[in-house]
Amino acid sequence: MLGDILPNKPSSKGGQVPTRSADPSISVRGHTVDLDAVTHRYGTLTAVADVSLTVRAGEIVALLGPSGCGKTTLLRLVAGFLRQSAGSVRIDGKPIDALPANQRNVGIVFQNYALFPHMTVADNIAYGLQAHGRPRDDVRKTVERFLEVVRLGEFRDRLPRQLSGGQQQRVALARALAVEPTVLLLDEPFSALDKSLRLDMQIEIKRLQRQFGLTAILVTHDQDEAMSIADRIAVMNQGRVEQFDTPINVYDRPATLFVTGFIGTTNLLRGKTLHSSNGTTTIALDAGVQLAIASERHFAPGTPILLSARPEQLHLYGEASADRWPVRRRFALPIGPNTMHDLETRDGATLKIVEQRIGAIVDATGEAWCGLRTEARPSLFESSSQP
Amino acid sequence: MRSRRTGDFSYSLAIGLLAAIGFLILVGPVVIVLLTSFTEGRSIRFPPSGLSTQWYQLLFDATSSRQIHRAALNSLQVAGATMIMATVLGTLASVALARRSGKWARALDTFFMWPMILPMLAFGLAALMYFTFLGLRPSLELIMIGHTIVVIPFVLRTTSASMSQLEPALLESSASLGASWFYTFRRVTLPMIAPGIIAGGFLAFVASLDNVPVSLFLTGPRSDMLPIRMWGMMESTLDVRVAAVSGVLIASVLVLMLVLERLVGLTRRLRD
Repeated sequence: MLGDILPNKPSSKGGQVPTRSADPSISVRGHTVDLDAVTHRYGTLTAVADVSLTVRAGEIVALLGPSGCGKTTLLRLVAGFLRQSAGSVRIDGKPIDALPANQRNVGIVFQNYALFPHMTVADNIAYGLQAHGRPRDDVRKTVERFLEVVRLGEFRDRLPRQLSGGQQQRVALARALAVEPTVLLLDEPFSALDKSLRLDMQIEIKRLQRQFGLTAILVTHDQDEAMSIADRIAVMNQGRVEQFDTPINVYDRPATLFVTGFIGTTNLLRGKTLHSSNGTTTIALDAGVQLAIASERHFAPGTPILLSARPEQLHLYGEASADRWPVRRRFALPIGPNTMHDLETRDGATLKIVEQRIGAIVDATGEAWCGLRTEARPSLFESSSQP
Repeated sequence: MRSRRTGDFSYSLAIGLLAAIGFLILVGPVVIVLLTSFTEGRSIRFPPSGLSTQWYQLLFDATSSRQIHRAALNSLQVAGATMIMATVLGTLASVALARRSGKWARALDTFFMWPMILPMLAFGLAALMYFTFLGLRPSLELIMIGHTIVVIPFVLRTTSASMSQLEPALLESSASLGASWFYTFRRVTLPMIAPGIIAGGFLAFVASLDNVPVSLFLTGPRSDMLPIRMWGMMESTLDVRVAAVSGVLIASVLVLMLVLERLVGLTRRLRD
């Protein structure tokens, strides 16, 4: 393994090997993962449909989606527990499709950690090294190092059942990292943890990932988790990748109606386009207003559309104006420093608006006017693309 | 209020009574045979006339109980060999069949459980005819083979129960850490299902030890088996040593069970 990691050619001067970090023996450089038109079927059910994506070296990619969207199947294909029906998986450009799971050198941390219950913490970490037939001395040293990396030195002789959830997860991480995998796969790694512990473990994983320059693929159904930990998110639905982009772009520039509905909360308003030019589309909403929206997409006049606006992109006004539409306030909920208003438009759509409550007590009911904030950039979708 | 309490009471009474009857039926014979074995008299009769250990002394006497000793030794040898063969074969079969849902796996699973349903006398006769057809003569080895076939279901059941509780993620973790199938089997599968295997082996041993129907057909002149000798003694002389043998068997199985209960939680394994 080490030969792959460290450039081993002697330099012109004195055969000194350049090192990447203070402790070169445990530094692992990230590797790329390419999924090329991967399809997987269980009988007649297509779990993964023609997925292509590239995970860059040293990047964390989250596969995010509702249960049954194919994200776990995709992870198991990369791990080698399943063999895809079509397409190819490559690590560093080399296809690994023909390799069984035990020759792929892909680390995995399961949702329930899957520690060997009859082995101590140290034995769990040593397991992969021993399976590789490393010399005893080498195994002992590596185990020591990784016990330190995950700060579990004093727990080395405990059995998994004597550890807390967070500690078990750290053992699982150490066990997976000890064999220096090319890629680390994380299957819903935080869902079995208490909420308070989740953030700690997210930071821990981020720390390890930075320290080792790891390439990691994370499967989750929790968008907050994906947003906070991943460099890029692949939002999946019904076996397909709907959008593969940075967390900010996935939130602010959702590619599809599914993404807009799955990530965060949004308000959908029906209408149709009037005309579209120079990146601006003028639309008439059924709620009773005409708006000019910046949009990269071009729509033919008269196309039925849905305007998707985040609660924080809307604002409530006391008086009418050309770019505002009338709403009826139904109720208001105080949420921390904000107030969430529940509104109904003239065409019967429900709107949620979040406004900062700066001291003033806002009247909770009655007529008002709703408009876009000046800097807001809502998204437009053809309404036939509604799922 | 009052009637409900009466109802509760009569319910408890009925359940308690049934439990007591069940307990009497289960434990009564054991107690009676144990007490009888300590009789001072010369015949198997309950209640015993006075207490003594004379029958045990006679049973352990090397010369006067030589035939019993030889039968016991045969039975122990057969039970030991049967246990080993059934454990190895049953474990291999259950590991191979675990989590396979295909048509062939299901068919094989049912096939291996057959000896449990097939009347053992019929199997004994069939085995005798088959072995004779092959030109083999009754011997201890044939009894071992016959016993192995009929006790394999015990091992298969307990081991399969352990296998089904083995988390697939453990095996997948092992593979992703670079372990071969055999390495995984040795270091993860086997230690995890060991209690099931040990429980199955114990059952196989005991089932072989007191098997009559199969032994009956496959016993030759030089392969006298303990249960058959005991039956013979009962038929001819009403020898009290039969009760003493029963006493020894009950005591040893009881001790083994207690040890296994401590080691592997035997009763829990059998319930699975």
